[in-house]
Amino acid sequence: MKMVQAKNISYSFSPESVIIGDVSFDADKDEFVSLIGPSGCGKSTLLRIIAGLVKPTGGKTLYMGKKVDGPSSGMSFVFQDFALLPWLTNLDNVKIGCSMMKLSESEKEKKAEIMLDKMGLSGFERSYPNVLSGGMKQRVGIARALVSDPKVLLMDEPFSSLDELTAETLRSDIIYHLKNKNLPVNSVIMVTHNVEEAVELSDKLIILSKKPSHVAATKHIDLKRPRNKRSKEFLDIMDSVYATLAK
Amino acid sequence: MDFISLLGLIITLAIDTAFSWVRMFAALAVSIVISIFVGIYAATHKYAEKIILPIVDILQTLPILAFFPFVIFIIVAAIPGSIGINLAVVFLIITSMIWNIIFGVYESIKVLPKEYGEISKLYGLSRIERFRKIYLPAVMPRVVEQSTLSWSIGLFYLVTSEIFSTGNSQYAVKTGIGAAIASPLITGSALAYGLALLVFIVFVIATRLLFFKPLEEYVVRYNRHTQQKPESRAISYAKVMGSFGSRIARRLNPQQLIRSSGSAKTAMKKRGARSVREEGGIATIEKYGTAIKYAAVALIILGIAYVFITNPALMGYEATVLRALVYTFARVWFAFAIALLIGVPVSVYLIFLTRHSSKYLLLFQILSSIPATILLPAIVAGLKGTPYHGEITAVIIFVLGGVWYIIFSTMNMAKTLSPSIPEVKGIYGVKGADAWKKIYIRAIIPGLITGGITAIAAEWNASIVAEYFTVGNNVAAQVGIGVGKLLDLSLSANNLTLMLLAVANITVMIILLNTFVWKKLYRSVSKMYG
Ligand SMILES: Nc1ncnc2c1ncn2[C@@H]1O[C@H](COP(=O)(O)OP(=O)(O)OP(=O)(O)O)[C@@H](O)[C@H]1O
Ligand SMILES: [Mg+2]
Repeated sequence: MKMVQAKNISYSFSPESVIIGDVSFDADKDEFVSLIGPSGCGKSTLLRIIAGLVKPTGGKTLYMGKKVDGPSSGMSFVFQDFALLPWLTNLDNVKIGCSMMKLSESEKEKKAEIMLDKMGLSGFERSYPNVLSGGMKQRVGIARALVSDPKVLLMDEPFSSLDELTAETLRSDIIYHLKNKNLPVNSVIMVTHNVEEAVELSDKLIILSKKPSHVAATKHIDLKRPRNKRSKEFLDIMDSVYATLAK
Repeated sequence: MDFISLLGLIITLAIDTAFSWVRMFAALAVSIVISIFVGIYAATHKYAEKIILPIVDILQTLPILAFFPFVIFIIVAAIPGSIGINLAVVFLIITSMIWNIIFGVYESIKVLPKEYGEISKLYGLSRIERFRKIYLPAVMPRVVEQSTLSWSIGLFYLVTSEIFSTGNSQYAVKTGIGAAIASPLITGSALAYGLALLVFIVFVIATRLLFFKPLEEYVVRYNRHTQQKPESRAISYAKVMGSFGSRIARRLNPQQLIRSSGSAKTAMKKRGARSVREEGGIATIEKYGTAIKYAAVALIILGIAYVFITNPALMGYEATVLRALVYTFARVWFAFAIALLIGVPVSVYLIFLTRHSSKYLLLFQILSSIPATILLPAIVAGLKGTPYHGEITAVIIFVLGGVWYIIFSTMNMAKTLSPSIPEVKGIYGVKGADAWKKIYIRAIIPGLITGGITAIAAEWNASIVAEYFTVGNNVAAQVGIGVGKLLDLSLSANNLTLMLLAVANITVMIILLNTFVWKKLYRSVSKMYG
């Protein structure tokens, strides 16, 4: 079943600056899709279009077969810069994620606590984001995105503001939760510029060209998980991605 | 009015404005030169830093225009005639322009990577070479950026001081747009007044387009490699808008400023390093600033006490001053409340609810560089015959003088937040009261504090003309009681004692308010914002 379908999306700020030329792809149920491409090719914009935050100039997005024209509770977003509200406690930040749900305050609180705990942050409910390290902040950001039980998780370079060790741990935690069905999330679309990360996490890799962007190649990655980043197969896939990107 | 006299009027007004502009440029030039030396000195000498920073910090929050009657009295007594008057005006404009430029210079040196110092040692650069090859190029971008802002603030001082000077023929500025505005010839005719306003606005826009914009572009091109980040502009705007705010701005999460992915990590490291270094500056202000503030207040109070003990008759004066202070205080804060009622919704709209804020911003920048006091004749004419028109005039001028600071500083402080916060609102569907409570109000609080402190200073500044506005030899509008009015009257009466007493009282009040109200607010907010 197709969770998300992007159909002939195009985007321009003005007639002279076309950012996204024509991009189509879809994300199936239980699929982890990565979007990768040169800097400035419109990856973040594309993800925001899918989320319903930005209106495309042309084309449309379907979420479970229905046209997207505004943010919906079924799709959630993780930001590169975390985008936590510094004046709210970590728990309240996560509770923001329940805004669209028809629950009482205490039910929201309960959900938020459970999600923070799942992200390994119990004990930090009452403190503010500023006392957390970068990796912990992004855990709060992910908890906020997951607390409303979204079916689709959109992530814009979620690990790129973190140092490599922190990113590595967070990545394996996330993939563990996702693949063990600890979460109701059906599919993930992640923007990244890190080829290794993309190959490690994805079932499908969409490689975009430079702007005005279109899909340069699509790669299905069926390596079994957990993936060994030094294995020959892994390295071969990385090489072929690099080759496509260099074109 | 026939065509020839119309043309004549326009030319006269253009000449008036040109004279005013000469004062402005003279003040700007002096401010820049002093700022460069003082800023670099403070940034490179530990002990100087501890004294200069807190003093600059206090001075930039004082309503220095209130000192103008005193300054003009002293300078004209020393140098009579129009030279003295012009010197007084230029001096006053300098006191409005200089502080944020000093901070800009100081900070540009402070954020220079240590390697620069090492290079200069390695290659044995002399003091002068180091100044010319390292420091000067390093500070120029911020100097230019701050100058644009100083210019807008200076215009308010220029117009206000010129209008004020005409209140007393002995101290009147002869040629200048502020002086022209307050002359019966202009205030008597709506057409003439409209033309004067138009000429002024044309000059404002022309200066921006023909002077500051090319200068900015030049500096940016020249300094492309020195990585002036776009957000530093937001922070420096905030800085002009008030000293506390700048500190809050720098304390806000640095990593949330990062936009581009490629350089995210390096930018984060750089900002981290930078904020650590800047913390030094903040701590310096905090630690020594309080001491210096208390010392200043103690000194002034001791001075006043001494005067009273030696001259018991002065107690009557003090009573007069205090009474006037209370009235103006009430007016200022009432106007501030109105400014908040206007400014908060406008800011929230611009930050969160529209995609076209940059368009409005340009309009607002032009509108805000029209000094509120230049509108005095229009307001007075509009309110003619209304009961309490003098009080209403003062309050309107105060509101107009303050509201821009609130709007700009909230907008600029909001820029230091993550650019994704409005998207968070969209994605999670935060709406209505929840959005106001959890996002909007919280996001603009630091800006409100920053803007508040400067808005209030601007209102006190305006009081010397707003509370007592004269056209020719007639008083066009005046309040019942007020410290601005008191300053005017004491200048006309050549009553130096009363004037000094009023200035001393205002200074003590502002310092106390800053220490016990704004600083407290700032502390509780900065704890929350990190
Ligand atoms: N307001 C704007 N007007 C015109 N062009 C813009 C505007 N904002 C962004 N752009 C351009 O749009 C392009 C796409 O931006 P976007 O952030 O989507 O790219 P990206 O692929 O995510 O880049 P990165 O790898 O840096 O994250 C960029 O080239 C950027 O320069
Ligand atoms: Mg991006």
